[in-house]
Amino acid sequence: MDLLHGLTYGLSVSLQPANLMACFIGVFVGTLIGVLPGIGPVATMSLLLPITFAMSPTASIIMMAGIYYGAMYGGSTTSILVNIPGEAASVVTCIDGYQMARQGRAGPALGIAALGSFIAGTFSVLGIMVLAPPLTSVALRFGPPEIFGLLLLGFTMVTYLTAGSKLKAVAMALLGMLLGTVGLDPISASPRFTYGSVTLGDGLGLVPIIMGLFGISEVLLNLGQGVQQEVFDTRIKGLMPNRDDWKRSAGPIARGSVLGFLLGILPGIGAIIPTFISYALEKRLARQPERFGKGAIEGVAGPEAANNAATGGSMIPLLTLGFAPNVVMAVLLGAFLIHGVQPGPLLIKEHPEIFWGVITSMYVGNAMLLVLNLPLIGLWVRLLRVPYGILFPLILVFCVIGVYSESANVWDIVVMLVFGVIGLLMKRFGFEAAPLVLAFVLGRMAEESIRQSLLMSNGRFSILMTRPIATVFIATALIVIALPVILPPVRRMLRTVPPDDTA
Amino acid sequence: MTGRDRGAAAVLLVFGLVAFAEATRLRFGSIARPGPGFVPVVLAAAFSLVCVALLVNARRPRDAAAPPVARLGWPRIAAAMAALFVYALALEPVGFVAATFALLLFFFRVLERQRWLAALAGSLLTALVTYLVFKIWLNVQLPAGPWGG
Repeated sequence: MDLLHGLTYGLSVSLQPANLMACFIGVFVGTLIGVLPGIGPVATMSLLLPITFAMSPTASIIMMAGIYYGAMYGGSTTSILVNIPGEAASVVTCIDGYQMARQGRAGPALGIAALGSFIAGTFSVLGIMVLAPPLTSVALRFGPPEIFGLLLLGFTMVTYLTAGSKLKAVAMALLGMLLGTVGLDPISASPRFTYGSVTLGDGLGLVPIIMGLFGISEVLLNLGQGVQQEVFDTRIKGLMPNRDDWKRSAGPIARGSVLGFLLGILPGIGAIIPTFISYALEKRLARQPERFGKGAIEGVAGPEAANNAATGGSMIPLLTLGFAPNVVMAVLLGAFLIHGVQPGPLLIKEHPEIFWGVITSMYVGNAMLLVLNLPLIGLWVRLLRVPYGILFPLILVFCVIGVYSESANVWDIVVMLVFGVIGLLMKRFGFEAAPLVLAFVLGRMAEESIRQSLLMSNGRFSILMTRPIATVFIATALIVIALPVILPPVRRMLRTVPPDDTA
Repeated sequence: MTGRDRGAAAVLLVFGLVAFAEATRLRFGSIARPGPGFVPVVLAAAFSLVCVALLVNARRPRDAAAPPVARLGWPRIAAAMAALFVYALALEPVGFVAATFALLLFFFRVLERQRWLAALAGSLLTALVTYLVFKIWLNVQLPAGPWGG
């Protein structure tokens, strides 16, 4: 199926009323939770997973994806108006976006964030359509050693790219994999670490763990700290950026789109890191870098484009390899599996309606988001004024409903609460939850692939180094591990590279 | 600060060692035919080693740039957590609507100190509306309890 055919076929799927509705619900909920600080796309997607049981696989994935990129739009609103990131990928937007709002330019800041996101979203959808089909044919040649190599690279990238201590991230990734071994052994089906418990016999659930680590712990933290809510109280007028704004933003949006998309494809990056890189890049390229931090529109346009393009880019490994490059994609992978669909190289042949329908729905969804976030911005601003004292009990009850409805097992709620406490402690002691969850999801795949590889090779680890694709993955992983050792002397030699000042 | 880090690393190390001991009880198999215990043993060993490294690292003084840890209101957190545990265990015996009503009343009245009338009305309304939306409209399974709700 060539591109144009795929495009028209995809649109015919994504414009079916049920799928259109799923797309709308997804982007609407996405914007909603993006605007609200304290609940992000990961928790929301796992929360809504049980509701998709009754839907077709295509509609479910369309809705789930909509939540993710919708949250990218919504998050910027809170960053600009309240100076709190509504969503982690909008942290950078706070810096200049809030300053713009204080100077009475909240309108153009919101406008450029939404329009920049739309342009980047469009770009990344086109990128997926061009890149995904050829990658699929490469992925068809993957066996267990290649999959293991890819997973190893993924884990390495996740820990290397973490904001905090890398050692702590390694510890969390190993812990995640260890937690993933609870339940039945994937090859011999004998029980491990279950201690006769039925709940543990099925393995720890992904939904309770995510809701605990990302939902409950966040609420507990906010409860303990108290949330300050100061919505910037000026009337927002003139959402359209003026000619000068556009002139300044065109370059950042273009660079942010390409950067975000390409980085998003790589394992372990997600939507957050590209925003930091885009901000640093724009600051370095700017003629007057001193304007940054004082309301420079470039500092909003670039990162906002980057995070949206990254959401599109990160769909590529999932759709072509069946590999989740970040936590959000791990949840999406879970959604695929619940519906009995295995994403990967065969997806485009076996389920073209999902493959093309989901991609084109992202385009439809981006158009919906433009309407939701510009003319309807007042709605979200009002939402920001709902006191946290009313909001947090609702979030907690929704978390409980989400977990219970998935398994009808009260003990899964207890698992969620325990992981809520663990998540709070992890935040307090500087451990990140993302490596843990990603490793938990992919750990099972990693175990299967390494054990199958060893069975194939009769116990020789050399199988990982004699197959070209696997070798490339593992070599890249080793280079990434060695980077902290190699990089400082190289930097000293080059000297011309100025010290990093992303903060 | 280093004391906190050391404490955290020590707790994790204990967990890692217990996991290792438990994992060795599973059948390890051989490298050519790895059994169910193969991966857990390797993982628990690696995890414990990383914890040792964390423990050693924690002895080094942290760089001055590290932000101070904000104070947390632990009583509020503990109260909310306790309420949620009771709620989870009460869900099936008393049913979703009654349990949720009680939980929300506790949050609104005790934690957020709203007036009685507002807290009562808010809890009742929220419990009923979520029940209607999730159970009746979205057909999500919720614990029924003796009163059918």
